[in-house]
Amino acid sequence: MTDNGLLPTEEERKKILKETFRYLGYRRTAPDEEVRRAVSGVLPRLTAAIEPREIHRSFPLQRMQKGIFKIEGMELHSRSLERNLAGCGEVWLMAATIGYAPDRMAARASAAGHVSEAVIVQAAGAALIEWWCGRVNESIRQEALAMGKYLRPRFSPGYGDLPLACQRDFFQVMGVTRYVGITLTESLLMMPSKSVTALIGMAEKDAGCLEEGCEVCPKNKTCVYSRLDVGKAPN
Amino acid sequence: MSRFLERLGKERLYWDGGTGSLLQAKGLKGGELPERWNLTRPDVLVDVARSYFAAGSDIVNTNTFGANRLHYPDATELESIVRAGVRHVKEGMRQAGRTDGYVALDIGPSGRLLAPMGDLALEDAIALFAEVVRWGADEGADLVLVETMSDSLEAKTAVLAAKENCDLPVCVTCVYDAGGKMLTGGTVASVVPMLEGLRVDALGLNCSLGPVQMLPIAQELAETASMPVICSPNAGLPRSEGGKTVYDLTADEFAEAMRDIAACGVSVLGGCCGTTPEFIRRTVEETREIPMKPIEKKHRTVVTSFSRAVEIGGRPVLVGERINPTGKKRFKQALRDQDIDYILEQGIDQEEAGADILDVNVGLPEIDEVRMMETIVTRLQGVLALPLQLDTTDAAALERGLRVYNGKPMINSVNGKEESLNTVLPLAAKYGGVVVGLTLDETGIPATADGRVAIAEKIIKEAEKYGIPKEDIIIDGLAMTISTDSGSALTTLETIRRVRCELGVQTILGVSNISFGLPQREIINASFFAMALREGLSCGIINPNSTAMMAAFRAYLALSGQDENCESYVAAYADKKDYTFGLAPKTAGVGTAYAAGGNTRAGSPGASAAGTGAPTAGGSTGASGETGTAGGKNAGGKDPLGDAVSFGMETRAAEEARALLAAGEDPLAIVNGRLIPALDAVGRGFEAGTIFLPQLLMSAEAAKAAFEVVKSAIGTGAQEQKGRVILATVKGDIHDIGKNIVKVLLENYGYEVLDLGKDVPPEEIVQTALREKIRLVGLSALMTTTVVSMEETIRQLRREAPDTLVVVGGAVMTQEYADAIGADCYAKDAMDTVRYADRVLGNGDR
Repeated sequence: MTDNGLLPTEEERKKILKETFRYLGYRRTAPDEEVRRAVSGVLPRLTAAIEPREIHRSFPLQRMQKGIFKIEGMELHSRSLERNLAGCGEVWLMAATIGYAPDRMAARASAAGHVSEAVIVQAAGAALIEWWCGRVNESIRQEALAMGKYLRPRFSPGYGDLPLACQRDFFQVMGVTRYVGITLTESLLMMPSKSVTALIGMAEKDAGCLEEGCEVCPKNKTCVYSRLDVGKAPN
Repeated sequence: MSRFLERLGKERLYWDGGTGSLLQAKGLKGGELPERWNLTRPDVLVDVARSYFAAGSDIVNTNTFGANRLHYPDATELESIVRAGVRHVKEGMRQAGRTDGYVALDIGPSGRLLAPMGDLALEDAIALFAEVVRWGADEGADLVLVETMSDSLEAKTAVLAAKENCDLPVCVTCVYDAGGKMLTGGTVASVVPMLEGLRVDALGLNCSLGPVQMLPIAQELAETASMPVICSPNAGLPRSEGGKTVYDLTADEFAEAMRDIAACGVSVLGGCCGTTPEFIRRTVEETREIPMKPIEKKHRTVVTSFSRAVEIGGRPVLVGERINPTGKKRFKQALRDQDIDYILEQGIDQEEAGADILDVNVGLPEIDEVRMMETIVTRLQGVLALPLQLDTTDAAALERGLRVYNGKPMINSVNGKEESLNTVLPLAAKYGGVVVGLTLDETGIPATADGRVAIAEKIIKEAEKYGIPKEDIIIDGLAMTISTDSGSALTTLETIRRVRCELGVQTILGVSNISFGLPQREIINASFFAMALREGLSCGIINPNSTAMMAAFRAYLALSGQDENCESYVAAYADKKDYTFGLAPKTAGVGTAYAAGGNTRAGSPGASAAGTGAPTAGGSTGASGETGTAGGKNAGGKDPLGDAVSFGMETRAAEEARALLAAGEDPLAIVNGRLIPALDAVGRGFEAGTIFLPQLLMSAEAAKAAFEVVKSAIGTGAQEQKGRVILATVKGDIHDIGKNIVKVLLENYGYEVLDLGKDVPPEEIVQTALREKIRLVGLSALMTTTVVSMEETIRQLRREAPDTLVVVGGAVMTQEYADAIGADCYAKDAMDTVRYADRVLGNGDR
């Protein structure tokens, strides 16, 4: 599924900028003028170059035994997922990417001897794929609401004890390469690198959950990228 | 010729539609490999084929979209699947009572991305598809369909696999988004010339869009291609409804929309996701009577990269000549040292200076040119989008370059000699390309235009024998120096004019050859370039970093009515108050504030970044803003160079270093008294958590720019060399940014880095360590899945090179992990690596 010409709104752009700084390590400290200038040299260019694509579908969630699920032909073993999907009878699978622009821009910056720019591209790319996942998540939420159902937080292969190895089955079930163009390396990295696959549990009852990653991540106290106290950053 | 090829393009043919939904209706589960049904549910596959043939499809695909070794590691099973796939379609055709149908061996994407961005080697990809082609052809398929390709390079590998392993017709359809772009950047304009150069039999698009959204792209394909076009849309746009993917068109609506596609010149119609035999039946009914548009040859001369097409014959085209070792000591050294980054920088510089195409010549007697050609072509295409001109006299290097090239390149060159014609033309015929023909033969370079035009004619005739049309030939009339023959320029100019007018073929020149042996060659070169353009020169091989050549070029465009309102000219020169001929420096010019007797420049916010008397053509446009801010922020600073480094102002740092040198400061004092203390302060700030990664790196880059200036001034290493370090991202891992960060920092601190790149096998790291007698190896891994390669690399290093120390880092690395895999040190960040190197390589005093 292709969504060309999809661009972040003004409000979203502000958040993406803030997130970019967070990925660059600025949490309690405000970035200085040179860094701000460098980021504003990259972010608009990258935002204009991304090509957001996504696919999402829902499936019945079969519980085989504790910590073991079956979604279509895919069997998943994960205690963390068990907690995440408590009370869910169905699950959404989504795959999203913003295309190769971040990879190309970073490679080019590195080759030109501008690793700082490559680092900024990486951070901006991370903020942009998160933005895009947020959009996709929201449209899934709307679809769920239309059926009178509620979503759990997004959960990706590699989170907690859900092994990355399930990516191969995930790609097969969703036809990820065919429909969105994302590929997997032998060591299970996705290319384009700014791509996300995720499961989203769907339940009859609202668990009042927080939607995004950091709030529910067990490492949110120690992780240098955690957004939990980003609000305290003097801007 | 096969019966299929006789009909293709002459009458409207119909492909089949989707199979996924049909198989799901019969019970195929998501996640189940559908091709296995060829063995377990043959009845279903035969029936799908039968129903498509019965609905009016002339061509039906085998159920082999994902049938390759990556999904089916067992070769015996895979062969059975492919062979059964062909048989089922044949049987379906028989059951439908058809004898005029065709079996298309279906090849979908592998699911892996090709190097350099991905980890699948080109020849491995070709091998992956090749065996499927051999089995399918042997079982009696009538043609090969390469479909749903999101990456033009993968499409090329599949075509090569087909062409090298069977004689069947080959058709290719790619996936474009609504904007007409493939995911990896390909466009109709860039992909069509590549596929035509590879001599496929039909090309087109499938999947992703419905017929309505496909119409403009199908139109563009029909207007661009000189061969039949295929269009297989989805049943409209997909949407998610209650968690299921549904498509928004009915069979009737689909067929109605297909009328427009048929009318715009598409020869072959089919369907993709969500379409069924009913969609095809209705499409046949709706479009059968729509007359076929004759397919016209377009006769355009086009070279392409993976994403860009450059047409030759309109506005003159600039071919950058700088990637060439001839007469360049530094470049030769880079080739010998495998300093790929230096060569990539040459490419990027030329693109920024305005080159349209880059010449790539990496021949040096003492290096392996075949390997180097592959490396440079692949790596250049990883960082820039300009089409390349493969420039070599080594046939093996040429073939290697052609094979790995993503697009339709220029080939430099063939000439009138039998041997050259017999070697180069077959390669051009196989891989596609625009061939530069030099007007010389066994008897040398003719002294007259008559003689040169005759050779041009011969080359064009010979090429025709290989099916290479004359638009794919571009003639070089050969510029010979006027210092030994004052009439030689006139001969060349006459040749250009006659080749254009009499033969109707495009022309190219290595312009600067005209002035060998003369002083101030740029003066002659620039004037000759303008004269040649006036005679109809289509491409100039020049140095785009030359102010004089670019000036001649822009002036010519303005004077010849090819620069509307002189816009490009004004954009290039409006700000250039001190225009001078000569080579434009890479960065803005020499600051003269120090020489003028004041250490005040940084304190003067109004100071011009360009300095006085600086030849600023091509200089950084960011420079003046940079200075303005820094001046404000740092008013009264005592050490502008140190400040430029700590604030991470690259252009400024280089300027300030130049100014200090001009003021007579000792180069070593600049390094030890200003650069190193400033860097150290930033490094300590980073370690203390007051300075963040982007600042650290920007400072490092600023320091590097200043080091370069000092280095070029004193001719040798400005810094004391502390030692040599290998850096590599381990096998299986294609993320190299962390490694690159460490590299910049280590270089800054005086280490020579042997950068082996990403996805590096353990053996290569071990061999390099042994050969170069390296004491410290730095390894990077991003993912838990690649830490195993890191462990293996350490194991091999311990065995083969026990004295080598290993420092590891990367996103998933921890001290515990590093201990477990036997590393000597875990570095939590780049500065940590520098400190460790300082400790173990004997510079622990800082």
